[in-house]
Amino acid sequence: MSAEMTMQHAHGAVAEERPYGFQTKKLVMWLFIIADAATFGAILFAYGYVRVGSPDWTKPFAFSPTIVNGIVMTFVLLTSSLTMLGAVRAASAGRPTATRWLGATILLGTAFAALHLREWFAMIRGGWSPSHNPLGGSPLFGATFFGITGLHLLHVVCGVIAIGVVTMLYRRGRLDASYIETTGLYWHFVDLVWMFVFPLVYLLNAR
Amino acid sequence: MQNAASSPSPGMRFYVVLWAGLFGIVIVEVLLTYAHMRPLALTISLIALALIEAGVALMYFMHLKYERRILFWSLIPALVFVLVMFDHLWPDAFRVTSMRLPASASSTPAGGGQ
Repeated sequence: MSAEMTMQHAHGAVAEERPYGFQTKKLVMWLFIIADAATFGAILFAYGYVRVGSPDWTKPFAFSPTIVNGIVMTFVLLTSSLTMLGAVRAASAGRPTATRWLGATILLGTAFAALHLREWFAMIRGGWSPSHNPLGGSPLFGATFFGITGLHLLHVVCGVIAIGVVTMLYRRGRLDASYIETTGLYWHFVDLVWMFVFPLVYLLNAR
Repeated sequence: MQNAASSPSPGMRFYVVLWAGLFGIVIVEVLLTYAHMRPLALTISLIALALIEAGVALMYFMHLKYERRILFWSLIPALVFVLVMFDHLWPDAFRVTSMRLPASASSTPAGGGQ
């Protein structure tokens, strides 16, 4: 067998068709998302467990400002998913507007984090902490509230940083559109998780 | 779902309609919260609406509908299995409630009953 034939044979083996029809980084992101979904599922189930098992559970959230703030946060995060879709579509078509869509997504993600932190600080000023309930009920409310929303907020902050880095490198031509699509998957997942956090952690604890 | 490789996704107008629909579901969730429903009925309603939202986000925003079927069948059943297994904790959560001591007994200082 000649060297050329050997290389062709080897190339044929290496270039086997991808089972999912897309690049490995996208599959890795999907696997991360599924693992992360199981993590969020676990903490939401744990929240349900302590809530059912605590007869003195507290329902501290008034319609205004907490639930109204939650509605605004949901609107902001949902809109950021829409701008991310705009970025993915523009980048796939090679349009320069992709960076503007990404910039809008970063702004909306930052606004969500700011609204979240404002709410946290107001609660902390009111005496809430992961181990203290100023209303005298189960202290597990603070532990689960700050734990679940804190983990979600961490995902939002990491997402904003990731989108910022991808935007910068995409503008410089060092990353292609597939990286925006992969980052977009993560961002939509962050939005998806909030669709469970808002009703289960906020609305079910409304007065 | 497509059997072929990734296909072109819908236009922005379609996504705007979905975005409005998802926010509409959020408003319905808030309205249900203040509709004085029984706690169990409210919880089930909110979870059902959240699952609908998650399904729409997963299939359309995350483009799972436009990927090969094998991706869906590789990932989602495994996640559903894990989440169903978590449900085994509910009987224990209710058992904990019935095992609690009366308030007067539980307020006894530690070691006081020995």
